[in-house]
Amino acid sequence: MVSTLAMSPRSPGLRLGLPQVYAGLILLLALAMLMSLTLGYKIYSLDQVWMAFFAHDGSETAVVIAGLRLPRALIAPLSGAALGMAGVMVQTLSRNRIASPDTLGLNAGASLAVVVASIMFGVQSLAGLSLAAAFGAFVTAIVVFGVAASAGGLSPLKIVLVGVTFASLSHAFVEVLLTSNEAQLQQLLFWLSGAFVDRPIALFYNGLPVVIVGGVIGLALSRALDALQADDSTAAGLGVPLGAVRGLAFVAVALLTGAAVSMAGPVAFVGLVVPHAARRLVGLRHIHQLPAAALFGGVYATLADVAARFVIYPVEAPVGAITAVVGAVVLLVLLMRRAA
Amino acid sequence: MADLVPSRIEVRDLTLMYGHDTVLDALNLPIPRGKVTVLAGPNGCGKSTLLRAIRRLHTGQKGKILLDDVDIATLGAKDLARQIGLLAQNPSAPPDMTVEELVRLGRYPHQAMLQPWSEKDGVAVNRAMDGTGVTGLKHRRIGSLSGGQLQRAWIAMVLAQETDVICLDEPVNHLDMAHQLDCLDLVSKLNKEDGRTIVLVLHDLNLAARYADQLVFVHEGHVRALGQPEELMKPELLAEVFEVDAAIMTDPVHGRPICIPRGRARAAAKEVA
Repeated sequence: MVSTLAMSPRSPGLRLGLPQVYAGLILLLALAMLMSLTLGYKIYSLDQVWMAFFAHDGSETAVVIAGLRLPRALIAPLSGAALGMAGVMVQTLSRNRIASPDTLGLNAGASLAVVVASIMFGVQSLAGLSLAAAFGAFVTAIVVFGVAASAGGLSPLKIVLVGVTFASLSHAFVEVLLTSNEAQLQQLLFWLSGAFVDRPIALFYNGLPVVIVGGVIGLALSRALDALQADDSTAAGLGVPLGAVRGLAFVAVALLTGAAVSMAGPVAFVGLVVPHAARRLVGLRHIHQLPAAALFGGVYATLADVAARFVIYPVEAPVGAITAVVGAVVLLVLLMRRAA
Repeated sequence: MADLVPSRIEVRDLTLMYGHDTVLDALNLPIPRGKVTVLAGPNGCGKSTLLRAIRRLHTGQKGKILLDDVDIATLGAKDLARQIGLLAQNPSAPPDMTVEELVRLGRYPHQAMLQPWSEKDGVAVNRAMDGTGVTGLKHRRIGSLSGGQLQRAWIAMVLAQETDVICLDEPVNHLDMAHQLDCLDLVSKLNKEDGRTIVLVLHDLNLAARYADQLVFVHEGHVRALGQPEELMKPELLAEVFEVDAAIMTDPVHGRPICIPRGRARAAAKEVA
């Protein structure tokens, strides 16, 4: 009986080898970044991009490409990669395929920190606001993790419930603060929906090492995370130190989300959508899930950023709105397929 | 007879509480090497807790569990996981995980952090899948398997762990009769061919009597009786431990004792009166 059913109707993911998947993703990422450099309010040729980098003549074109297009062509993929990897770990930790850094309240915590910094402490600079965002995500991660842990064990359900509670609470505070300070509303609204536009390149250099550290922690934990996809008894039976692995993975999630939010603001649903694509492409082992999520996240965020330039052309839409729409559709499909 | 075989595991004065409830009360139990030990008892008697304690999944217990005379509390997590494997009750994993990915999880205690997948790991995984007959299913998602196939895949996962002691917590729950036998025959084969020490929790007394070398009746946190199935399958003992009034016969096929419950023991007592 076993053997008659053995003909595999469908191997996991696509029928591509891992090298092809990685090569394809890297190629796509390069292509997306090139699109990000050339396409926009003005469309530049590859020659002009080349000139701006290697023969900068001080022309307006060169200034726009090197000073405005380049930062977002770097920040978008890095943010997407960070949120993709964070999403993989959150979904594994919570054993919930519709969980994401948003669900854990990290984006909301970052938003609250930005609004508080701006309204209460008069922080105006982008660097100051992004530091506040990272701080907010990190503090929220620690608080959510701490409350969930002290409420008796870090069960997946508890982590998500505490996260959702904190997310609502943070949103409520943000609403109150914004309503009572209309003057700053306009300025903060754009940030609060997430964007890669008008970011100084310094944010990229600040974020890069943090994302690398978060990613390396994730990879170092990859085998333990694999085992954590099974139930707690099975994982513990395999010798996985549950508390330590969850704690460390949470630190990685906080670093990655904090870095992403500090660069781009709370870009919604990237961490929800990307892990699904990564698993389809490379299967469920984290040693591949994480790199694939980083690459696909980079492609996804970069393409969303390019699309944001055209949906209400000539005005630029917030990229967070684009990813929210795509994310909502994916979420609905997942819910209907009961993948959650 | 059983005491001629040196114990692989020795549970000594084990007391375990859930809050204020005493689940195991100064329990003692030898588990002989290379034998199949089956823990049986009514619901809530502590048999699953005992099994999980042997795999050190509970903390805050009093007493000791010795593995070859070494207190398991002194062993590292991975070290212990290389010696005692556990198939949890109703284990779960994502439905889109493939059988091979599931079986590979069993290699966790054999790998250091960031150590690449080794040839030895591959051999162990293939042997585990061959031994359980799931090699042909290795690319299938576990969500698409039948109950019997799924249970084989989980047993393969535990086998890949290459432990000498294997604990299985109600492994035939939710399986139909054919797959129950299939699963327990497989477990029995691991014992007979590889000489592994097996500890099983089973609900079905007749299955327990059929597969056990040593049968253990757990009752209210104590070991009420242990020995060969023939010694334990007695009407008085079943009435006391399981509260059933049962007739005991000898299974004409395997020569093992089987019980045929007439009804609850209390009702029977009334009848006699």
